[in-house]
Amino acid sequence: MAENQKATTKAKEPKAKKTRKPMKIKTRRSLEGLMFVTPWLIGAAVFFVFPLLTSIRLSFSELTSMKGFQMKWNGIDNYKYLFERSTTYIPNFLTEVKDTLIDTPITLVFSLIIAMLVNRDIKGRGFFRTVFFLPVLLGTGYVMEVLLSSEMNGVISIPSGLLQAIGASFAELVTGFLSRITTVLWKSGVQIILFLAGLQGISASLYEASRVDGATEWENFWKITLPLVSPIILLNFVYTMIDSFTDSGNAIMSDIEHCFNNGALARGASMGWFYFAFTFIVCIVVLAVMSRLTFNQGER
Amino acid sequence: MEKAADRAAQKAAEKAAKKAAKHVSVQNRFTKKHVRRFIVSIFLYLVLFDLAFVFLYPFITMIIDSLKSDADLVNITVKWIPSSLEWGNYQVAFKGLDYFKITDSFPFVGGFLMNSLLVTAIATIGHTFVCAFIGYGFARYKFPGKTVFFGCVILSMLVPTQVLIFPLYIMFSGWGWLNTYLPLLVPCFFGFGLRGGFYIFLFRQFFMGLPYEMEEAARIDGCGALKTFFKIMLPMSRSSILVCTVLSIVWHWNDYFEPSIYLTRRPDLALLPSRLPAMYAALNQVASEAENVSLNSNVVVNQAICMASTFLVILPLLIAYMFVQKQFMEGVERSGLTGM
Repeated sequence: MAENQKATTKAKEPKAKKTRKPMKIKTRRSLEGLMFVTPWLIGAAVFFVFPLLTSIRLSFSELTSMKGFQMKWNGIDNYKYLFERSTTYIPNFLTEVKDTLIDTPITLVFSLIIAMLVNRDIKGRGFFRTVFFLPVLLGTGYVMEVLLSSEMNGVISIPSGLLQAIGASFAELVTGFLSRITTVLWKSGVQIILFLAGLQGISASLYEASRVDGATEWENFWKITLPLVSPIILLNFVYTMIDSFTDSGNAIMSDIEHCFNNGALARGASMGWFYFAFTFIVCIVVLAVMSRLTFNQGER
Repeated sequence: MEKAADRAAQKAAEKAAKKAAKHVSVQNRFTKKHVRRFIVSIFLYLVLFDLAFVFLYPFITMIIDSLKSDADLVNITVKWIPSSLEWGNYQVAFKGLDYFKITDSFPFVGGFLMNSLLVTAIATIGHTFVCAFIGYGFARYKFPGKTVFFGCVILSMLVPTQVLIFPLYIMFSGWGWLNTYLPLLVPCFFGFGLRGGFYIFLFRQFFMGLPYEMEEAARIDGCGALKTFFKIMLPMSRSSILVCTVLSIVWHWNDYFEPSIYLTRRPDLALLPSRLPAMYAALNQVASEAENVSLNSNVVVNQAICMASTFLVILPLLIAYMFVQKQFMEGVERSGLTGM
C-alpha cells in the first residue's frame, strides 16, 4: 500500500535526526503522531479541502454558468432568502433538530440493551446477531425506503378495542410512539454491532473478579460495563446524531437534493451549510462534554 | 405487541415464582436459584424473539413479496402466505440484473456481481487498514493541530457527498478519473471516501479503550512506533477491525449514489445496486406500454420482481455476514482466554 510506504519514509526522518542530535521525547512523540495521520492529511488536502471550500463559496454566490462552474459573489443573499422568504426552511430545520434530539437517546439505550442481551451466553446467539443486523444489510437500499414509508405502522399494532378505550388523541400518541420505536430499532443495527464489539473488548476476568467479590449484575453494569464501553457510547452518540441529521429521508436533506436536481445549486448549498454549521457545533459540543465523561485507558 | 408479550412474561414469571415457592419449602435452596434463573432466561428469550420479529419484519416482507404472483400482490387479504410460489420472479430478476453477464470490456468472469465484489473488496481493505492507522494516531498521540484535524474528521463525516458532489465531479473530470473506479477507490486509501471519517472515529474510540501498558512496555524495550502499531495494537484490535470491515462492506455494497454519478458513460462498469433503479424504470416502462397509460416514475409496478432483484442484490452480503458473525463469537472466547 502506498500510504504505508509513505509512512515508513516519514518514520525514518526522526530516526535519522536522532543520530545527529538526541531529540526531546515530546517532539519525537508528536512527530510519530503526525506520521500516523499523514495519510489523512494528504487525503484532506487532495480530496476534501477544495470541494469543501468550493461548496461553501457557492453558498455565498450566484452560479452564472454551469460550464466551468463560474460563480459571482453575492454575499449573504442566499442565506437572507432562507430566513426571510422561504416558508419551509425554518420549520423543517426545527423539526429535524427536535427529531434528532428525541431519537438519539432512544437509539442509544435500545441498542445498548440489545447488544448486552446478544452478548450473553444464550442459545441461538448467532441467529439473533444476524437478525439484528438485517435492517443494516437492507439499509440504504430501496426496500427499506418503501417499507419505512408505507408499512411502518403495521409492525407493532394495538388491538382496536384498546384504542377505543384509551381515547383517540392518546391512542394517536401511542401509535406514533410505537411507529417511532420501530423506525428507531430498524436504524439501530450499526449501533448494536458497535456496542457488541465494545462489549467484547471487556475482559471476562474483570467480571469474574467482581463476582468473586460478591458484586451483583446490576453493580457490574454500572461499575464495569458502562465505564469501559463509554468510548463506544460517545462514538454511537455522534454517529446516531449525524445519521439522523443527514438522513436522506428527512425534510431538509430532500429539500437540498431537490434544489440540486433543479439546478439551484447555490440555494441548495446555502441551505446545506447553515444546517451543517449548526449540526457541526452540536457535534463538537457533544464531543467536548462527553470526552470528559468517558473513561479513557490512556492518552498521553 | 411488545407490551402484551411483556405482560404475558410477567404473568408467567409470577406463576412460576408461586410454584417455585411451593417447591422451595420442600427442597433445598439450590432449586430456588435454579428456578429463578430459568424464569429470567424465559423472559430474556421472549424479549429477544419479540425484538427479532420487529427486525425480521422488513426482510420477511421482502422475501414473501418476491414470491407472490401479480394477483396476490394486489389482493389485500394475501399478506403472509402467497397462493402460489412464483420462482419465475427470480429468473426474471436474475436476467434483468445481468448478474453473471460476461462483458467484452471487463475481462474477468462474471458481470455486475464481479464488478461489485471487486470494488467493495478493494475499498474495504483500504478503509480498514488506513483508518486503523490514522485512528491510532488520533487516539494515542498529541501533536500540534490535533484538535483542528479531528474537528475536520468530524466535519468530513457530517457533510454528505451529495453536497460536495459537484466540485468533486469537476475535480475528477479534470484528472481524467471519470468513468473509472478511481474516484470510488483512491479516497478510501486516505481516510476519505464513503464514510471514511466515521471509520477513523471508530478506530480512535476503540484504541482509546485499550490499555496503555502493552505499548509502554514495548516502547521501553525499544520497539518503534510503527512496529508497536503493527505487531501489538493491530492484533489486539480484532473486534474493531471486524466491525469496520463489516460496515465498510455493507455500505460500499449498497452505495449507489456515487457510482451512478461517476460511471455514467460506462454502463458495463456499473455496480449491482445501481442496476436496480434502471431495472425498475424498465419494468415500469414495459407495464405502461402494456396498459397504455403513462405512469409516475415513483410508482413501482412489478413489485414482486423488484423485491426479488433486491434480494439478489443483498444475497452476497447476507452470506458474507453469516460467516463474519461467527468470527465475532470466536473473538469473545479468545479475548477471554488471553485475559486482555
